[in-house]
Amino acid sequence: MSLLIQHDSDAAALRRGTRRFLFVATLAMLALIAAIVVRQGVFRQTTSYSFVTDSAQDIAKGQAVRIAGFRVGAVSNVSLKDDGQVVVIMEIDADHMRFVTHDARVELRKEGLVGSPTLEIVPGPDKTRLAAAQARLRFSRAEGLGALANQVRDEFVPILKDIKVITGVLADPQKGLPGTLAQVRASSEALNTLLANSNRQVNGIGGAATRVLGKAEEDLSQLGQTLAAANARLPGLIDRTQQVLDHVEKITAEAEISVPPALREGGAAAADVREIVSGARQAWPIRNFVNAPAPAKLKLDSDLRGEAGRAR
Amino acid sequence: MRAKTLLLATLILAGCAAAPNSANSPTEPPRLKAALEAESDGAKRYGRGDYAAAARRFDEAARTYASIDDTPGTVRNRLHQARSELAQGHAEAALLTLESAERGSDAGPALDTLLLKAQAQMALDRQAAAQQNLATASGQCAGACPQAASLHLLQARVALAANRAPDALVQAEAALKLLQGKDEAAEIGNAWRLIAAARLAGGDAGGALPAAQAALEIDRRLALPEKIARDWLLIGDIRRKVMRSGIHSDGADDTAAAYRRALDVANAAGLVDLARLATRALAAGNEVPPGRKP
Repeated sequence: MSLLIQHDSDAAALRRGTRRFLFVATLAMLALIAAIVVRQGVFRQTTSYSFVTDSAQDIAKGQAVRIAGFRVGAVSNVSLKDDGQVVVIMEIDADHMRFVTHDARVELRKEGLVGSPTLEIVPGPDKTRLAAAQARLRFSRAEGLGALANQVRDEFVPILKDIKVITGVLADPQKGLPGTLAQVRASSEALNTLLANSNRQVNGIGGAATRVLGKAEEDLSQLGQTLAAANARLPGLIDRTQQVLDHVEKITAEAEISVPPALREGGAAAADVREIVSGARQAWPIRNFVNAPAPAKLKLDSDLRGEAGRAR
Repeated sequence: MRAKTLLLATLILAGCAAAPNSANSPTEPPRLKAALEAESDGAKRYGRGDYAAAARRFDEAARTYASIDDTPGTVRNRLHQARSELAQGHAEAALLTLESAERGSDAGPALDTLLLKAQAQMALDRQAAAQQNLATASGQCAGACPQAASLHLLQARVALAANRAPDALVQAEAALKLLQGKDEAAEIGNAWRLIAAARLAGGDAGGALPAAQAALEIDRRLALPEKIARDWLLIGDIRRKVMRSGIHSDGADDTAAAYRRALDVANAAGLVDLARLATRALAAGNEVPPGRKP
């Protein structure tokens, strides 16, 4: 009898434990379901917007909708109208409605050039008015890789045509590169000839200059000897100075007649003479015989160009 | 070849001839010799009308003189430099150079400095300052200095600028009298030009023409293009006045011809201001260009 009573009390305890476990498990399950529903945004307040496009390419139900890169909603429906247009309906969190202006547009962009497509709501410039709920927004597609390729092709095709024309012109044997090269070759040959002639002439001038300088050196050495002798016989020279001056006057008079025409023969000869005279003036011992000039006195002129013609 | 030989022979003989003198005279120190040579070269270039190179050489000479503490040489070359700058039309630069010369001088401003300053100030249209300098110069000169004629001419120019034509004529004639028999052709030409301008301003266009032609003749002989151009402009103005007074009613061609000569000379010598004046005078036809003083 006591054994039966003991069995009944154990069974009752087991039932109580089982009921408690089931109660707790049910509560946990309900909490989990509530969390999932909240996380899914079932209780979140949303607003729907729509747009119309020609093609549903790259647009799918559940696709993220972003504003300034932040996910603010998703595509809730994509449907084909009777006229062949595609209507896309988006659900946007009510919290983010303040960014959707009445002139906002929806743009289909790709992350990078080849990434996944996303819909981006781009607010318009007029921030004073917001879009009404279920408003129809404008839609555009950002240029993707294909459009870029088309643009590049459009840019390159004319360039390639130009290159083709240019290469055609360059290849022209008469007016093109071969002709130009032939002309350049002919010009360079003419230039070479000219340079050769110039070299010959410069050599000739150089030879002449060398001869003149050689002669000048010879004359200067003779002059040095003469002056040495003159120094040795200075007293005698003083006596003969007057006679020498007479000779100088005569020679100068002759030189006045004969030198100018000779000087007119060319600038080169004049330059040579100037060089010789300048060199001789600075060379010892002639420099000892050349006196410094007297202080200069300019002629009076009370009407210099100071007024530059303003008063005359 | 013969010319070179002759020149060498001339050099040798000249060297021989100069030997006794050189032996007797003391040798110049190298720096002083260099300064004298730069000064002499500057004077040659000034004489040839290469005023820019002359100014450079005078500046070089002045620096060399200053380096050997030769104040008179420094001041003299600064004055030469200022004169070269004035001849180029750089009046501001000339005034700075003259101030430098004054600073270097132990005594007060010399008469030459005052006269050049007056010229520069007239060029810059500072008539009052020019007149003041001329008054100081007049006090220094007391009528008996070698620059008396130049002083008279500058006073004549100041008078002319102040529309005192009779005073200008008196001063210019006094200068011409002082210059008689002197080897100062440029100043004589200046005197004739001022006499012509003063007569023209005084209404004696008939008497102005021979004076202007006398100035032109002298300036041509001296080959001074700037003054020749100015003489032609003056002759054009005189002919225009003569034509208007009715003495020669058919003088329009002569007037235009004078202005054209002025333009040609100014263009050939690269005198931009004078060329502009001549062009304006030609274009003006019967109108006297405003702002041009005779």
